Amino acid sequence: MTDSNDTAEFDSIPVDHAFVCADCGHRWYYTRRRCPDCGGTDVSTYELAVGELIAWTENRVTPADIRSPNRLGLARFGEVQLIAQLSDDEVSVGDQVAFEGAYHLRHGSETPKPRLTPLE
Amino acid sequence: MTPFENASDRSVVDLAGVAAERALEDGDYSRAEITSVHVGNALSEGLGTQAGLANALSSALGVEGVRSDRIENTSATGASAVHRGVEAVASGQSDVALVVGVEKMSVGETADVTDSIRQLVHPREYEQGLTLPSFAGLAANVYLDRYDAPHDALAAVAEKNHRNAVDNPVAQFQKRISVDDVLESPVIADPLRLYDCCPMTDGAAALVLSREEGVQVTSIASATGTHAVAARPDPLAIESVRLAGERTFDGVDLERDDVDVACIHDAFTVLELLELEELGFYDAGTAWEATLDGKTRLDGELPVNPGGGLKARGHPLGATGISQLIELVWQLRGDLPDQRRVPDAEVGFAINVAGFGNNSVCTLLES
Repeated sequence: MTDSNDTAEFDSIPVDHAFVCADCGHRWYYTRRRCPDCGGTDVSTYELAVGELIAWTENRVTPADIRSPNRLGLARFGEVQLIAQLSDDEVSVGDQVAFEGAYHLRHGSETPKPRLTPLE
Repeated sequence: MTPFENASDRSVVDLAGVAAERALEDGDYSRAEITSVHVGNALSEGLGTQAGLANALSSALGVEGVRSDRIENTSATGASAVHRGVEAVASGQSDVALVVGVEKMSVGETADVTDSIRQLVHPREYEQGLTLPSFAGLAANVYLDRYDAPHDALAAVAEKNHRNAVDNPVAQFQKRISVDDVLESPVIADPLRLYDCCPMTDGAAALVLSREEGVQVTSIASATGTHAVAARPDPLAIESVRLAGERTFDGVDLERDDVDVACIHDAFTVLELLELEELGFYDAGTAWEATLDGKTRLDGELPVNPGGGLKARGHPLGATGISQLIELVWQLRGDLPDQRRVPDAEVGFAINVAGFGNNSVCTLLES
């Protein structure tokens, strides 16, 4: 059951990349084929740099293929906002964060991916 | 409706059939009068139980030949089924619409049910292991921080809704809990604890819609929001709630102040506060104070979740939205004993929410 969510088309997009519309410049993180602002289809990706931690939580009851507890952060990268796994480093709301490191976000996943990590 | 409980010994069709027969009996309708059947169910195939539920139920009820369909809208499945039934009657395509919502969540292991539910998230959220409680935990942290509210305010929602369920014979948890019980229960997604979260539930609820006299559906409206929760510019804004609420009041001669009793989708305690504010019943950042001041209790200015809400009545996904409306019907008809009744209630409001605000359905009822 854990493999039934249709993620295949997104696997090639790095977790630390967002989307930008060539027509209007609008940026977003959660994959859509068209720009949510102007409807344009000329879309490219870009690497997220430094964001700000808006909130975080530690989820203690997690799916079977996810670490427990699962520390999650809500972070804003300019106009883009996302929720992603946090590293185990101490964090506080307002910290600067970036995607760093290489982790298996789900048990058994083949490709290590970065987690949100507070910057020194 | 059936009691909301663990009904592992009954089939999903049996549960739905019992609720349907009780609704027909309540409205004094015969099976022969039914012209359409609208079945709300979210997880049946996902948990390996009855597929083709609308057809199976219609046959079990002995109403073959009518129009019958099944509606799925995750946690708002029940209210969406009602919306479909209202449209069928309003358009003249159906004279007597039977709306039945059912869910049998005990059929699977908790991990399987949780996993089935979390399939509703965006794939990029799924990759990170996000669950509905994790969205609620993040929102709760933002809410408590932005409005300098104590965790007691969240716990007070659970305490109130459990208190309301004590005398509700169909509620899953007919027992009181204290604010301390909530605060001392196991952490699920910090700061939310076990008693901040609704349970998994088996149950069915049904109602009959027609043009006959009785409690009136004044207005019903739905709206979607962003699929990904973090795509919302403000973590506390739930656009689907706001839009569905506005549409429900648009064009009707009622204001928020006219609502005597409300059923709010409290899948998590923080959601009751956020929805009350998005819907305009309270200003942003004030619902927590209203809750602590007792304004949403049964004897308050706006009684919220008099039947116990999702928290204590239970949350069988497909049946929940219908059970909210049944509670309002009981309140508006004055069917209930004094200790459970909102006195002289004439206008009721309900909101049923899919996912963490992916889709909302609001309904206004009048006696």
